[in-house]
Amino acid sequence: MKCYVCVKEGRSTDAVAVCIVCGMGLCKDHAIREELDLWEGGYPFPAKKVKAKIPRILCPECYQALKGK
Amino acid sequence: MSDLAKRCIAELAGTALLVYFGAGAAAITLMIARGTDTGTPFNIGIGALGGLGDWFAIGMAFAIVIAAVIYSMGRVSGAHINPAVTVALFATKRFPAGDAGAYIVAQLVGGAIGSLLFAASAGMEAVMVGGLGATAPFPGIGYGQAILAEAIGTFVLMLVIMGIAVDKKAPQGFAGLIIGLTVGGVITTTGNIAGASLNTARTFGPYLVDSLLGGPDLWVYFPIYIIGPIIGAVIAAFFYDYLAGEGSATA
Repeated sequence: MKCYVCVKEGRSTDAVAVCIVCGMGLCKDHAIREELDLWEGGYPFPAKKVKAKIPRILCPECYQALKGK
Repeated sequence: MSDLAKRCIAELAGTALLVYFGAGAAAITLMIARGTDTGTPFNIGIGALGGLGDWFAIGMAFAIVIAAVIYSMGRVSGAHINPAVTVALFATKRFPAGDAGAYIVAQLVGGAIGSLLFAASAGMEAVMVGGLGATAPFPGIGYGQAILAEAIGTFVLMLVIMGIAVDKKAPQGFAGLIIGLTVGGVITTTGNIAGASLNTARTFGPYLVDSLLGGPDLWVYFPIYIIGPIIGAVIAAFFYDYLAGEGSATA
């Protein structure tokens, strides 16, 4: 698979990741890796943030949309 | 500030809100009904205006504030706002002993602060006529009957907490609503037996502030609201674990 963003810009780059939201293939330059906090507990126990985080890969477009930018 | 201190402040605030709005609704009902012919000695004023509807209204005041506290404080402290719930979670090894002790102290102090704030808001008539919504067995109800009614009511409350919140397989997001409505329903039915406290801190607050401000002295009944709720909650927690634990149909 090729990077969708690069193809749109007229380049051909191998994809190394897929956006978890829209599914587009992404090269290393266009893949945005985020880490989500993971919580456990909640009523009737206090919620605690666990050390482990959940990684996710996003394309620039979905990243901007999810951040509300 | 330590994590435990913050959680204790949340328990204190939550219990204060419970007592202010819940017990406060009982006090206001007595103040409104003052001078009304109740017709029967079993009716001390709550019920003089709308029969069981008076208890339903008080139950709904509790239901709404319990739901509000669970949804707002549930992730912070767990929103037990009830020593019986804390003891039951401790007894089933779900809650550490040190935290449980601190929570219970915070809940008792919160109950007293809630009552004090209600007295400050509503005036001395709330103390002298409404007794700040303090619970006691109704005329004709014995000590043992009152303990039984409190134990059964708290059994239902804790059973619902276990099924809707403690059990990880329970649907998410309904705990505050269902637990609040459960308390409201229990109060509607058993309020006119022993006040349907279901909660040692909810009774402790009005008792303490009534004593401080010259209101009714009801301390002789306080053991009812320690023994009944704690027995009911602990039995419910173990009962649920037995029914839904390893090897059961839902495990």
